[in-house]
Amino acid sequence: MSVNNSEAVAASKPVLNDAVEARKPGVDYDAIDPVKTHKVAELKHTVPLTSCRVDPTGRFIVAGAEDLDIHVWDYESKTKRTLKGHTSWVRSFDFSADGNTLYSACWGGDIKAWNLLDTEPKSKLTIQAHQGSARWVRLSPDQTKLATCGNDLLVKLWDLENGKLLQSFAGHERHVYAVEFHPDGKHLVSQDLMGVIHVWDLHSGKKSRSIDASVMTGYDKKFAADMGGARDLQFSPDGSELATAGITNVVNSFAGVQDPIIMLFDWKTGQEKAKLKPDKTFQGIAWGVRYHPDGFLIGAGADRSGKGELWFRKPDESEFYHTMKLPAAARGLDLLNDARHLIVAHSHGAVHIYRMTEEEKQKQV
Amino acid sequence: MQRNQGCQQLDHRVARRQFLAGAAGGALAFSLSGSPAVAEQVNGQHKRILQVYLQGGVSQLESWDPKPGTEFGGPFRAIPTSVPGMHISELLPYTAQRMHHLSIVRSINLKTNDHTQGRLFMEKGRRAGEYPYVGSVASRYLAPAKAELPGYIHISTRGLNDSTAAFLGARHAQLKFLGVNPPKNLSLPKGLPPTAAERRMALRQQFNSQFQAGHGKAMTETFDASFQQAEKLMSRKTFFEKPPADKDLERYGKHDFGRNCLLARTLLENNATCVKVTHHGYDSHAENFNFHLEQLGEFDKTFSMLLDDLHERGMLESTLVMIYSEFGRTPKINVRYGRDHWGTAWSIALGGCGIQPGAIIGKTNEKGTAVAEREVDAGHLFHTYLQALGIDSTRDHEIAGRSVPIGDPAAQPIKELLA
Repeated sequence: MSVNNSEAVAASKPVLNDAVEARKPGVDYDAIDPVKTHKVAELKHTVPLTSCRVDPTGRFIVAGAEDLDIHVWDYESKTKRTLKGHTSWVRSFDFSADGNTLYSACWGGDIKAWNLLDTEPKSKLTIQAHQGSARWVRLSPDQTKLATCGNDLLVKLWDLENGKLLQSFAGHERHVYAVEFHPDGKHLVSQDLMGVIHVWDLHSGKKSRSIDASVMTGYDKKFAADMGGARDLQFSPDGSELATAGITNVVNSFAGVQDPIIMLFDWKTGQEKAKLKPDKTFQGIAWGVRYHPDGFLIGAGADRSGKGELWFRKPDESEFYHTMKLPAAARGLDLLNDARHLIVAHSHGAVHIYRMTEEEKQKQV
Repeated sequence: MQRNQGCQQLDHRVARRQFLAGAAGGALAFSLSGSPAVAEQVNGQHKRILQVYLQGGVSQLESWDPKPGTEFGGPFRAIPTSVPGMHISELLPYTAQRMHHLSIVRSINLKTNDHTQGRLFMEKGRRAGEYPYVGSVASRYLAPAKAELPGYIHISTRGLNDSTAAFLGARHAQLKFLGVNPPKNLSLPKGLPPTAAERRMALRQQFNSQFQAGHGKAMTETFDASFQQAEKLMSRKTFFEKPPADKDLERYGKHDFGRNCLLARTLLENNATCVKVTHHGYDSHAENFNFHLEQLGEFDKTFSMLLDDLHERGMLESTLVMIYSEFGRTPKINVRYGRDHWGTAWSIALGGCGIQPGAIIGKTNEKGTAVAEREVDAGHLFHTYLQALGIDSTRDHEIAGRSVPIGDPAAQPIKELLA
């Protein structure tokens, strides 16, 4: 795990040019401790954000918003670029392993690819992937295929080189919210509105099994409608566990009265390993989940009041051991390659960068 | 079955006057065939209303007045319709292909964001006061004298009870069906032969007559109306007993709304005067976009199939179609991805009997935050509904020598919307 401390320091003082660091002797300011998580930078946009991602090399932070654009910040310089071309909100991103190419999915059903090394990137590939929203996009571990899912109830696999459809997986009966490659590269998982997780065998092109996450949906009798779906989906780095973020205990979904939940499943057996929920006073949606290389789990969510929280869970524990209050709803979460920084897309229109170490106090000269 | 009494002191003294320009009796035709052959039977019959009520307040931005790419436009795009130049939300692809049957009013300002106030204003055409709903007015002035079905039927999956008839009398009050389930006790009690039931009814009427002599008609009319409507339904219980055809369910959908709309079609085919179908689930203070995807996805195809069937049966020309809510939803998107109550600048769609098809009335500003042109409210709409049906809404209800204006005298119909 590499630590890019110079970038972190740069991020920690975007406005206090005259400040000097106040370092306590004997304190390891690089030691990772989620309890010490603190904000170090803010990247502002003008409208609420919907999602975020950071590239695997830690150079680019991207966010979708309640507009038609993709917002790209250079992590080091904090300069911002805007990518235009989508016809709807962008909800999901993925990056190539070298961080140079961005893939984006929008509610209009399109998938686009962008070369971020260009000064003013234009879409270099557009796939009309789904009828209705394209809710999710993921790049295969071997970097040759894209997986997408959408409101046409389909999961699709695309050839990255030419944008051609390779496989289409039918079987979901409600909108498909998220899709993810297993690290073995041989399987895909997808989760729909009703908490049905299908596992697709990429060799046979067929569904190999299903996992029951039906606790992550609820029927609101008063309004006669279902609410649910995966709002984030990620495998543990070794592929032994699947984490999915969303909701449970729907009481009045039209007013946002339900509980956030992060569920963990054993990949081999498909059995539930944990149901993680924040304090019961926090009602809303879990919008993000990430496995930290050190083994702990990070979640992010939005309360119906508009506040947000970050949650931290140690391996094999059944509850979060630390919660950090956030000033605004968290709508997306990602982890930088230095393993010390988190980014959160907030409903108040900014990406916040948080550092999971002892805070270096600043003082004025 | 829930029965709304809606009974006031003046209920039972309304003189029936033929001041209706277009009301007509006509022969009754009962059929469960569901086939276009019904068209000939219903042609030339009385005018009716199909109300599709999107309860909770459908978002105008996700339906009739999309503003993609603007500050509050949301994630959905606008799509062209069968009317050149008219665009609606991409959440309504089936309806879009049928907009040549419909028109949109995009400039409604109710000046209220309250569910009850909005609903009552939209139904009564008045902000306050005991006035009848448009369905009850239709029942009063359009239902044939010997109608074989209650004049105002509401199919819903849950119960909001409104006083709908006001002074028009209990027989014009809304009769509510909880979905397609048959009303309770529709069949005669076991062991009671029809002849005995008739004798029982005659005895009840005899008691009523004696009671009326001493207490006046008002005290018994409500009960009479209930019994009469129950009798009508008992003779039509096959409506509920016969399951819909598979091909109809395939077209309309197997969900509650699909089944409710199939029942509405049957009732309209059989000369019901006003049939209201409520589709719940639009009060989306959170997750507005996912919920509108789900709800309008259900509404769009089902409603379109019903519209097709009315058209194919030749019934559309005599059926006023209303797709409406109690208000719209805020342009501003809240922190829960919700939109809140918004009566300030929103839309409905109308079509069929007496309505100019393919029109867009009024306009909101670029962000949808205010009406920009041709502001109207529910008073104007109320006049428009009734005049489209041939009812002179500027006339009065005559109630025991007292005149009560049918429509709000301060409002006028939207004349350019009338065919």
